[in-house]
Amino acid sequence: MKKLPLHPFTWWIWAGLLVLAIIRFDSTIFTISCVTVVAAVVFFFRDDAPWGKSFNWTLKLSLWILLIRTMVGVLIGVPIPGTTLFSIPIVALPSWMPGIRIGGAVTSERLTSALTEGLLICAIIVIFGAAASLTSPHRLLRVLPIYFYEFGVTIVIAASALPQLVHSVSRIRQAQFLRGQSLRGLKSWRRIAIPLLEESLARSLDLAAAMDSRGYGISRKRSRYRPIKWRAVDASVIASAIMVVAIS
Amino acid sequence: MIKFSNVSLIYPNSTTTVLENLNLEITEGEMVLVIGPTGSGKSSLLRLINGLVPHHTGGILAGDIRVDGVSTQLVKPGAMAHLIGIVGQNPLNGFVADTVEEELAFGMEVLNLSNEVMRRRVEEVLDLLGLTALRNRTIATLSGGEQQRVAIGAALVAHPKVLVLDEPTSALDPIAAEEVLSILHRLVHDLSLTVVIAEHRLERVIQFADRIVHINGEGVAKVGSPEQILMDSPIAPPIVHLARALGLPEIATSVREMRRMTTSIRNKDYENSVKENLPHGETLIAVEKISISYGDHVALKNFSAEIHAHEVVAVMGRNGAGKSSLLKSIAGLNSPDSGSIKVIASDPQLLKGRSRRSAIGFIPQEPSDLLYGQSVAIECRQADTDNEIAAGTTADLLAQLIPGISSHMHPRDLSEGQRLGLALSVVLSANPEILILDEPTRGLDYQAKRELVSILISFAKTFNKCVVLATHDVELVAELATRVIFIADGEKVADGPTIDVLLSSPAFAPQVAKVMAPHPWLRISDVLEAIEN
Repeated sequence: MKKLPLHPFTWWIWAGLLVLAIIRFDSTIFTISCVTVVAAVVFFFRDDAPWGKSFNWTLKLSLWILLIRTMVGVLIGVPIPGTTLFSIPIVALPSWMPGIRIGGAVTSERLTSALTEGLLICAIIVIFGAAASLTSPHRLLRVLPIYFYEFGVTIVIAASALPQLVHSVSRIRQAQFLRGQSLRGLKSWRRIAIPLLEESLARSLDLAAAMDSRGYGISRKRSRYRPIKWRAVDASVIASAIMVVAIS
Repeated sequence: MIKFSNVSLIYPNSTTTVLENLNLEITEGEMVLVIGPTGSGKSSLLRLINGLVPHHTGGILAGDIRVDGVSTQLVKPGAMAHLIGIVGQNPLNGFVADTVEEELAFGMEVLNLSNEVMRRRVEEVLDLLGLTALRNRTIATLSGGEQQRVAIGAALVAHPKVLVLDEPTSALDPIAAEEVLSILHRLVHDLSLTVVIAEHRLERVIQFADRIVHINGEGVAKVGSPEQILMDSPIAPPIVHLARALGLPEIATSVREMRRMTTSIRNKDYENSVKENLPHGETLIAVEKISISYGDHVALKNFSAEIHAHEVVAVMGRNGAGKSSLLKSIAGLNSPDSGSIKVIASDPQLLKGRSRRSAIGFIPQEPSDLLYGQSVAIECRQADTDNEIAAGTTADLLAQLIPGISSHMHPRDLSEGQRLGLALSVVLSANPEILILDEPTRGLDYQAKRELVSILISFAKTFNKCVVLATHDVELVAELATRVIFIADGEKVADGPTIDVLLSSPAFAPQVAKVMAPHPWLRISDVLEAIEN
């Protein structure tokens, strides 16, 4: 699937507008359908580049967040009266912590409210994750005003470091496997973390040095080679998002 | 063009000075080669030229460095971007854009050049470096040699007066290296560009150098013509060692000169030296008709080979020919699409833990991938407990391989050669039947390479085992390997004794063989032996 050569800002604006819409509408069904549409768009339009693949990680991360957020929401907090689903023992808290309860009856109302709140956070993460995976960070750097010098260096380093990180992890795991080490458990991650950290740091410094020696950030003005222009496609993508905000 | 006056450099938390009182003047259109053992400060010297040291790295700098009259102490590295182009050790780490054309334009965009200028210069550089066909390609999909050319191009678009390159050929096969170096040579001669280059593999660059800066690692630097410096330097390419071994009054830096100087020696009659009989031990590795492909890319096609005990097998071929795929399959990391691999009669993919360690030792391209201890001592102790051997065995082995490594050092602070030595002793402490190395000499100096050769030869010969290594380094292969397998596009092109395979292709012939052709001598020792008889 060939990616449309959209303006790098297009997907970010689109994502921002969608987030605005789901916050305004505040309906679970709307949020879920929005996320579904976004995911479909990503799987349809993303290209083979490393950042394209990052969306899967975003999805995994947001599922974990949803899980943890729901659990915390159910366990801790002010009880909401309603139909009791099941009960867990109450942890005795000292008297100077009134109004806070850990455990107790889990009502369906409380579960629902924890779920909806968690879902909203996840939706926001997924939508911005989608924008990140649809936009080449290198193209983004090209349209970013030079005033964001530090920011520009950071995103380019982060954007190129992350996919390389994934690649390095598999390479180092292979090497450790060849040394006959087990790849399970916390200990194995410690063994990977050390060479990994070293390598990523060295690489990021290399990139920063390379950008520095090519004069990045020295001139406050920057010319454009084959400038990236706004086109009708960009306008229509953003218009569609504005329409969603309008009806929400 | 470049002037170092009384330059001394010391890094914080370090007791040794990197450079002490260096005076050096490089004129326009000169090609200067910086040599020295690993960790001696070659990269620091290069990065001093545009001020990355100390602006970017820290460190205390005394003295003054001026490039075209501009002092590096007064301006940031970026402000010298129009004067100096710098290409790092690993160009892939320094790329900022997705495609070749955008990467070339980046340097000019940040310098705020006008659009017409940019268009013209991009075309100019594409032509100069032969990149026209690649202009819209994604950089990550290019081969190593192409990436190196893009990096050089990206440095050249700003029309710098000085080009600085740190080990530009270390990752390249001989042919790609030749291509990059001849481009540099042309730039020096056509555009009178000043080029400063650091390189370990002198045999590749020495013929292009006008002058050499030799850093010895204790702050002392010697500057002189290649003949002067190489006369008594321990760091020297094989042809210089050959000249010394033959007792010639002078040394030569190119094959052509050396052939002129050795005409009388070559023209004598020699008995045909006895051909080395391939030692045939038992079969340790049997690869049968394996094919591997990743997506559309075919890495290996119907590949078969048998490797026996006593053998040191070098797997050679262009970047991306399938060398690493073969090694990984033997080590049991890849499952081939078809065919079978047996290592000591078992499937390498099923080996785990202790039985894996005692069957296969694997040194990856980055030896540090294997290491995770906080110090050399911890790393050695871990290997002892893993392999259930007497405490201190690994440390003894390391002391034997590379003496003088402090056990308190962090593996990260070791030099490339020392790190490889540590990884080797960790792997060898399990006493594996076969040892596999992927590009072991990247970034190694001659000293470290000599040590590696003697370790590997004694491993194979004395202990009745086999070594398989993938490498681009023909000189290493000539010294070490008993057999060469040549792969092109996933297919076996040649497989035979080192001498036959290396002598059949001029690009892959070692320097001694080029000088002594048509005599079938690969090593200096071969030459001496033949002459003495």
